[in-house]
Amino acid sequence: MASRPVEVAVGVPALAPEREVTWPKRTKAKLANGLEVILAESHTVPKFHGELFFRSGNAMVADRAPGLAEMTATVLRSGTQKRSSRRIEEDLRRIGADLSSHAGSDTSDISFSGLSEFAEPLLDLVQELAREASFPEAEFERERRQKLEEVKLQRTQASFLSSERLRKVLFGAHPYAQATPTETQVAAYKLDDLKTVYREFYTPQNGLLLLVGDFEPHEMLKTIAKVFGAWGGRKPETKTFPSPANPRGRRVYLVHVPGAVQTQILAGCQAITRKHPDWIKLGVTNCLYGGAFNSRLVMNIREGKGYTYSPRSSVTPLRQHGFFSVSAAVRNDVVAASLTEIFYELDKLRSLPVPAAELADAQNYLSGVFSLGLATQDGLLSQFSTVAQYELPDDYLETYRARVRAVTPEELLAMARKYLDSANMQIVLAGDRAQIESQAALFGELETFDAQGNRL
Amino acid sequence: MNRLHVAIEHKKLANGLHVVVAPDSTAPVVTVGVYYKIGFRLEPRGRSGFAHLFEHMMFQGSANAPKMQHIKLINSSGGVLNGSTSYDVTNYYEAVPSNALERVLWLEADRMRALKVDDENLNNQRDVVKEEVRVNVMNEPYGGFPWLDMPPVAFRNWANAHNFYGDFADLDAAHLGDVQAFFKTYYVPNNAVLLILGDVKPAEGLALAEKYFASILAGAPPVFADPSEPEQTEERRGHVEEQFGTLPAMAIGYLLPKRRTADWCAMALLDQALHGGRAGRLYRELVLEEQIAVEADGGIDDLFGYNGPTQMTSRIMHKPEHSSEAALAAFDAVIHQVQEKGISADELEQLKVKWRSDYYATLEAGRGNYMPKYGLMHLLACFTLFDNEPQLVNTILDGFLAVTPQQVHSVAKKYLRNEKRAIVFRTPAKTNVKEAA
Repeated sequence: MASRPVEVAVGVPALAPEREVTWPKRTKAKLANGLEVILAESHTVPKFHGELFFRSGNAMVADRAPGLAEMTATVLRSGTQKRSSRRIEEDLRRIGADLSSHAGSDTSDISFSGLSEFAEPLLDLVQELAREASFPEAEFERERRQKLEEVKLQRTQASFLSSERLRKVLFGAHPYAQATPTETQVAAYKLDDLKTVYREFYTPQNGLLLLVGDFEPHEMLKTIAKVFGAWGGRKPETKTFPSPANPRGRRVYLVHVPGAVQTQILAGCQAITRKHPDWIKLGVTNCLYGGAFNSRLVMNIREGKGYTYSPRSSVTPLRQHGFFSVSAAVRNDVVAASLTEIFYELDKLRSLPVPAAELADAQNYLSGVFSLGLATQDGLLSQFSTVAQYELPDDYLETYRARVRAVTPEELLAMARKYLDSANMQIVLAGDRAQIESQAALFGELETFDAQGNRL
Repeated sequence: MNRLHVAIEHKKLANGLHVVVAPDSTAPVVTVGVYYKIGFRLEPRGRSGFAHLFEHMMFQGSANAPKMQHIKLINSSGGVLNGSTSYDVTNYYEAVPSNALERVLWLEADRMRALKVDDENLNNQRDVVKEEVRVNVMNEPYGGFPWLDMPPVAFRNWANAHNFYGDFADLDAAHLGDVQAFFKTYYVPNNAVLLILGDVKPAEGLALAEKYFASILAGAPPVFADPSEPEQTEERRGHVEEQFGTLPAMAIGYLLPKRRTADWCAMALLDQALHGGRAGRLYRELVLEEQIAVEADGGIDDLFGYNGPTQMTSRIMHKPEHSSEAALAAFDAVIHQVQEKGISADELEQLKVKWRSDYYATLEAGRGNYMPKYGLMHLLACFTLFDNEPQLVNTILDGFLAVTPQQVHSVAKKYLRNEKRAIVFRTPAKTNVKEAA
């Protein structure tokens, strides 16, 4: 902490009574072809935001090639049976719309927003992309070359190199370890493999359409039935993978970035899925540790010691697992000092119950920030999407704040003891080997890699 | 066409502080902003990066809210906060559940009235800012490209041409006296606007502004250095080495017409014709058709938020097997085509629909899910501080929707001229790239 006692503010106005937080009603439907639909009204601007997502992502086809679902999503927008790439982009502009397509570990999605007055033509294009993408050979080769350059660029970024290594360390043989492809893997992608992924994943039975915005739900539902009704296709087979071994003992993985003027620290451990009963309790613990500006970690290594600009910690949910991580980009001569503080704050959480007032601050923060999402269409969409993607209970949003407020100091202590053990944290450092190696070795057995992932 | 109207109340307090309230009870949250009319363009000479360092100091403590209390009080009220420094304004903003409105106003008033910081705070934030520069610029592939690379090449007036993030020697030279002087000169109520947006009644918002801010004493009106540029009569070029990335990159910037003129509106739509995403001419020709470039984007950064010389800047990263000469020639072909043929009525119509759609998106959010109304706040602040006319937020769209194809053609010929542009080549140290002469 800071080298002097923290002073308190004088004369702060009290908070007024809280206003009720009401999440908009969701209209749910299922089309005859199996497509699930969730709609919610929000009339902030004459627009709407939407997402068509599919419950399959890169992990499902990692055995074929890492990043294959992402590449499929990328090429998807470059042509349909009816429209060329250029036509698609101009048609989007003509109706004032934005659209992107991506795949994560567990899902693939087409996300979009546009003017309410042009809802039907936008939905029609989304339907066409989901159903009749044509995967032109020339567009595929162009996108492949772009992806190669993107992959090369990633390997020059300390933040990328550290997160790539951490995923490998935490998930071993599990597909979650393969978050991104190598150049060689991208060069080996085959167009037919993309088409196969497309056929398997992009089906109404595997899909969910979410729309939030300025529309009348029953009218919108009719439009959706008209646009998406004729689409067919089955749910793909789902695979489960053996659980990855949980790394025991603290080890240090150094990714050598020659000439780096700063070191990216990333330490982490396996954690839990979003459906786990501890999820909210661990979330409050993380918030207090390093999940907010006003957290212990930020107050210590930024506001107290000035080691770093943006330290943070987070719990990342994946469908079958999850992980905790703490990151900070620090100047090279304070790598060891920063790690010491990072672990000091973790150990403190495991040793002493947090003061009730500090816990209340973290609870207020999580509860308040949650309601900020109510004010925008995109904010609402992302909350509804989270509930749907992770198959959370229908009343998850309505009960979230009460569940956050119910967490006790004893539970927080239990969470820290159960999940945040500095003796088993895996440490990744992306930086210049010569400048940080001796500091790194203080924290555990050291392995060093180059940016391509080769052992040095 | 479904037009959006934003309800606004505007008042100027006796001490010169502008107050703008935009009520909207959709959600029980409120966004508060305070904008000061000083950015990094007019920071003191010999103190490059100081406006931004000073922004950090505004979170370090005020008379009744010592260090760490500002952040703690906002977070523990369920809100988020931040600040940012740009060319001509510096902002501080919070989004909170609306029951914390009074607390937020108290905090903003406390630091407008009396900043209370010491050497330890300054040394701490100097270190933090250096790590910010390292993470965003020095240790990042293409960091600072082109926003820090372009000004020294394009401009001659120090105000426009210096390093806005700050040379480390200048950051090291800054002392507490500079902090106090900067505060006293520019952070006066008569050089600021307070914005309250969201779940508040107009009368209540104005009354609370009065309650917390009216007793802050006005200062001498700040005297601003002249940011104008001598007329540019020749193309300017510069080179910067790229330490990490392997793709050659270039940025081409053209001077913009004066803001809020008919030419400026036409130029904004021409900007969209060129840089409007994947349908934009540069992306289409350079990335999709010619396939010389891997990226082609850019445009006018923060159209409404500047109040001095600025550029429309294209940013191209191209394949190493093409020389930068060839990439520039492909770029020039796109420019020449629009100069010769202009754009069609149909293309302009598409651009206007997209413009309107983007404008609504800006008003609603503008900076991620958790900062509602950031864009509306920014526009209201700039229209108040630069134009004394916050209602422009409801009328400015008309000027863009009235632009004709002839006007777009005319500004293409008038402003996209080689003698009005500057080019920065960011060349990888690691690969052999043929350079343009």
